[in-house]
Parts: sequence; structure tokens; C-alpha cells
Amino acid sequence: MAFRWSRWSPQFALAPAGGVTLVAFAGSIGWTIWMSLTRSRRFADYGINWDEWSRQYVRLLKDDIFITALKNMVVLGVGSLLAIVFGFILAAMIDREKRGEGVFRTVFLYPLAVSLIVTGLAWRWLFNPTLGVENFLHQIGLPWARFDWLNYPETAMYGIILGTVWQGSGFYMALMLSGLKSINSEIWSAARLDGVSFWRLYLEIIIPMMRFTFLTCAILLSLGVVKAYDMVYAMTNGGPGQSTWVPAYYTIDAYWQKQNLGLASAAAVVMLAITVAIFLPLVLITAWQQRRQEARAQ
Amino acid sequence: MSSIAEASLRHSRSVDETVAFPRKKKRISGRQIAILIFLTICALFFCVPLYVIVVTSLKSMDQIRQGDIFSLPWSLNFDAWVTAWDKSCSGTVCQGIKVGFVNSLEILFPSLVLSIGLSCVTGYALALWNVRWANSFLFVLFLCAFVPFQIIMVPLIMITGFMHVYGTIWGIAVVHAVLAMPILTLIFRNYYKGIPQEIMSAAMMDSGSFWRIFGEIILPMSGNIMIVVLILQITSIWNDFLIGLTYGGIGTQPMTVILANVVITALGEANYNVDMASALLTAFPPLIIYFVLGRFFVQGITAGAIKG
Repeated sequence: MAFRWSRWSPQFALAPAGGVTLVAFAGSIGWTIWMSLTRSRRFADYGINWDEWSRQYVRLLKDDIFITALKNMVVLGVGSLLAIVFGFILAAMIDREKRGEGVFRTVFLYPLAVSLIVTGLAWRWLFNPTLGVENFLHQIGLPWARFDWLNYPETAMYGIILGTVWQGSGFYMALMLSGLKSINSEIWSAARLDGVSFWRLYLEIIIPMMRFTFLTCAILLSLGVVKAYDMVYAMTNGGPGQSTWVPAYYTIDAYWQKQNLGLASAAAVVMLAITVAIFLPLVLITAWQQRRQEARAQ
Repeated sequence: MSSIAEASLRHSRSVDETVAFPRKKKRISGRQIAILIFLTICALFFCVPLYVIVVTSLKSMDQIRQGDIFSLPWSLNFDAWVTAWDKSCSGTVCQGIKVGFVNSLEILFPSLVLSIGLSCVTGYALALWNVRWANSFLFVLFLCAFVPFQIIMVPLIMITGFMHVYGTIWGIAVVHAVLAMPILTLIFRNYYKGIPQEIMSAAMMDSGSFWRIFGEIILPMSGNIMIVVLILQITSIWNDFLIGLTYGGIGTQPMTVILANVVITALGEANYNVDMASALLTAFPPLIIYFVLGRFFVQGITAGAIKG
């Protein structure tokens, strides 16, 4: 049989992508996992002593800063849920009151077009203890008002949450809005005919119908929280002290500042494990819900 | 055709006029007003940071020290912008953030070409050709899209070092292409899957060549998705910080990294007006794209959602 290019060129065309997947993703992940089991410090050391393979992980878990980073990640995740709630409220209102939809959407979404570094620096300036918003609040006669959250370890994380919610709400609004628009318009008129109250309509009918959209938002949010880095870097650079470190920050610091490849790899593996742990159940639930919906449709 | 439409329109209007009851003008109800007021307050809240950046960048340091963050500048002067652009210091180098602007532009083009070229061809092959293990490959790509960057950071440093591109524009471009590949491939693949089978069959009869069909039929048909992906990539490459920080060397750091250096690691007294002017200048290019081509931007953001 003759060699036919038309048959083989699609396979060749896939070679670069396949190579990237094998080397830059699969291979690299494998390499990092391997490194996390070694005693590598500044340079890669490929020997593994199987008796103490877990030494980097033990070190991580004994490190108070890493525990702080994990706690901060949870706090950030819970706090960022506000962005989904806020996004849904905005979307529901825009959807109900069609006037000015374009303008509101443009305003709520513009933070997404701005670099997180710029956003972080803007919030850092607003939180400036002497010249920022706090000063303004004092001037207008609210001397007890505090807006210097970033200066104290106890409140700095809330400042970052505020910035993150401001940045992300528009995105969840956009997702929710497309979810709301796909709801059958008969439901609105049926609810009106039945005299269902405003709150019951949303709490008992609309939100359950949109659980699929909510799930998508939850997946995206948690992945974003695990990856959070730019915002922390720009707003507090980890401080005050090490109170706003997050796992991504810890990993990068372990590699560049501590120059400890083994420790950085272990922290990266923990990040991957958290991603998988969040991601798998949510995807399974999503798939299960989808299947149930399809089964009902038949 | 248009005259018919016009006539029917006129007709319907005349029907409307013959209706005996004059229509009540729609009145805004209390609830609607409440919703609009709430939305406006939220919109103002969203505008606050941008407003503060703009006003601060136009103020003099004397006025900033007076401490009224929301006040308008006393006079319109762009000194801080000029200083930010031309003279602000990143570390010990005081050449302004124009250096970063040029670097970001230089990074942008190779990154766009590499990332879009790679994923466009891959998406095309996966969607329209009979490729072995296509579905398994798609699933693997889907998983790769969720991988946190940190776990492949160090190996990519070694790989780009091995390719002798670490610290150069091309190194950053390669990493952008790698990280964007999974999600962009999925976007392209989903778009090409919508191309009718008939078109592909006709094209197969005609030439049957993989690359000719791609160049002559598929590429001309992908204008819409190209704009969406282009805007998605331009904004995310421009706004990227971590890749530029990790893979950029001296002289190849993108604007965001220079900006962070100017503001965060600055020595001496902080010039808030210059800081904010630098931030504003960095934010300008993607903001302009957003306000001009917002519709495509939103499409891209929702399609590439998992890119983060």
C-alpha cells in the first residue's frame, strides 16, 4: 500500500501538542513529584532514600508558615464565596430590570481586563493607613472607622478578600447571567400567576434550577483560590510578617529565596493534591447531575 | 424586499393607531427604582479603585500629603505620568516603565503566534480528522488545563534553559504557548466541531490535503473564534505577572513585573502619584481593548474560564 500523506499528516500535526503534553505536563509533573521525594537543595539530586521519602512533606507540615499558608487559603476560599453570592445578586437584578444592562455589565466586568498587579496596587493604596480611605473616613466624622486592615496580621487577609471579591464578582455575574437567561421564560409568568413571592421564587425555584451554574462557579473559584498569588504579592507581599502567605507564595519563595528545590517541589505537589481533591468530587457531582437531567429528559 | 417590510411596518402601525384604548405609559414601580439604585451603588463601588488611580496620578505630592484620597486634583498636570513613563526606578535602573512597555510588546507577538498556531492546528486535527485516541487526548488536555502552574514551573525553567531560550523573549513565549495550549485547543476544537460534515466531505473530495483544507477552508471560516481567542490571549499575556517574573531575564521583564518593582521594592519615600500613574499606564492597553471590543472579551473570558 502506498504511503498516503493525507492519512498521516493529521497525526503529524498533533505531534507538537502531544509532545508538549508528554514533556511539559506529564513529564514535568512526574519530575516534580520525584524531586519532592529527594533531598535536593539548590540543585536537583536524583537519588531517593526510600526510608525517608517523606522527609520534605514532614518538614512542610512542621513548618508553621506552611500551615498558616494553608489556613489563609481556606479563609480566602470561604471569603471569596461572597463573590459568587454578590455575582448572583447582581445578575438577578440586571436580569429583572433590563434597563441599562449594557452599562452595568461593562462596569462590573472591567476589573477582569486589568492586571491583578494593578488591582492589588490600587487596593494597597486605598488601604494606606495615613493617606487612604481611613483618613477620608476620619475626616468626614467617623473617627472610629478602621480601614488599615493590611497593616495587621489579624485583618490583612480580609483586605485581600475584599480585593479578590471586587475583582471576581463581575465574572460570576456574567456566568450567572447566562444561566438566568437560559431559564424558560414561562416559569416567570407561571410564578406570577400563582402569586409566588419574590423571595420564594428565587430561593425555591430559580436557585435550585441553577445549581449547575453554581457548581461551575464553585469549581472555578476554588481553582482560582489555590492558584492565588499576584493579588497577595501586590497587596501585602506576604506581610505583615508572614501572615498572608498562601501555598503558591510559599512554593515560589521556597524555590527562589530558600533555594530549596525539594521543599518547593513538595509544596507544589501539595497544591496539586488540593486541586485534585477539590476538582474530582465537584466534577463527579456535575457529571452525576448532568446524567440525572438527561435521564429525566428522556 | 425592504419596501415590503416598510409597508408591513406602516400597516401594523396604522393598526396600532386604530386601537381605541390609548396605551398606558409604562410606569416604573418602586421595586424597579430600588433595583436600579442598588445597581448604581454597586457600579459606583466598582468604579472607586479606577477613579482613585486616575485622580491620584494627576495630583501633586503636596496635595496627596493633605490626605483627601477622593478629592479632584487641584490642577490637571501630567507630570507624574511623564515621570512614570520615563524616569521611575525599577531597582537601581531609572528608565521608567517604558522599558516594560516595549518588553511586553516584544513578548506579545511571539507568544500569540506560538500559542494560537499550536492550539489552532491541534484543535482542527482533533475536531475534523480521524485521529487515533482523539477522545483520550482531549480528556488529558482537559485535565492539564487545571494543573497549577507551580508544579511545572521548575521543569519548564530547565527545559527552556536546555533550549537556550531561558531569560529571553522566546522563553517567555514558549511558556505562554505551553500553558495556554490545553484550554485554547479545547476552545478551537469545540468551534470546529460545529462545522457541518458536508463542508468537510466536499473538501475531502476536492483535495483531501490536511494543510490545504486548513489554509483554504477552515482558517477563512474561523474569523469569529480567532478574534475571541486573540483578545483572550492579548489580555492574559499582557496582564501576566508570574511567567514574566519567572522566565524573564534582565531586559526582558514585562510591564507588570517592572510595575511591581517600581511600586513594591522602591527605595526612599513613596511617590504615590508616580506609582498610580505607572499602574494606570500598565492597565491602559487591555482596558482599551475591553471598552472597544467588550463583547468578544466576555466571550473569551467565559470560554477560557478555567485558565484563571
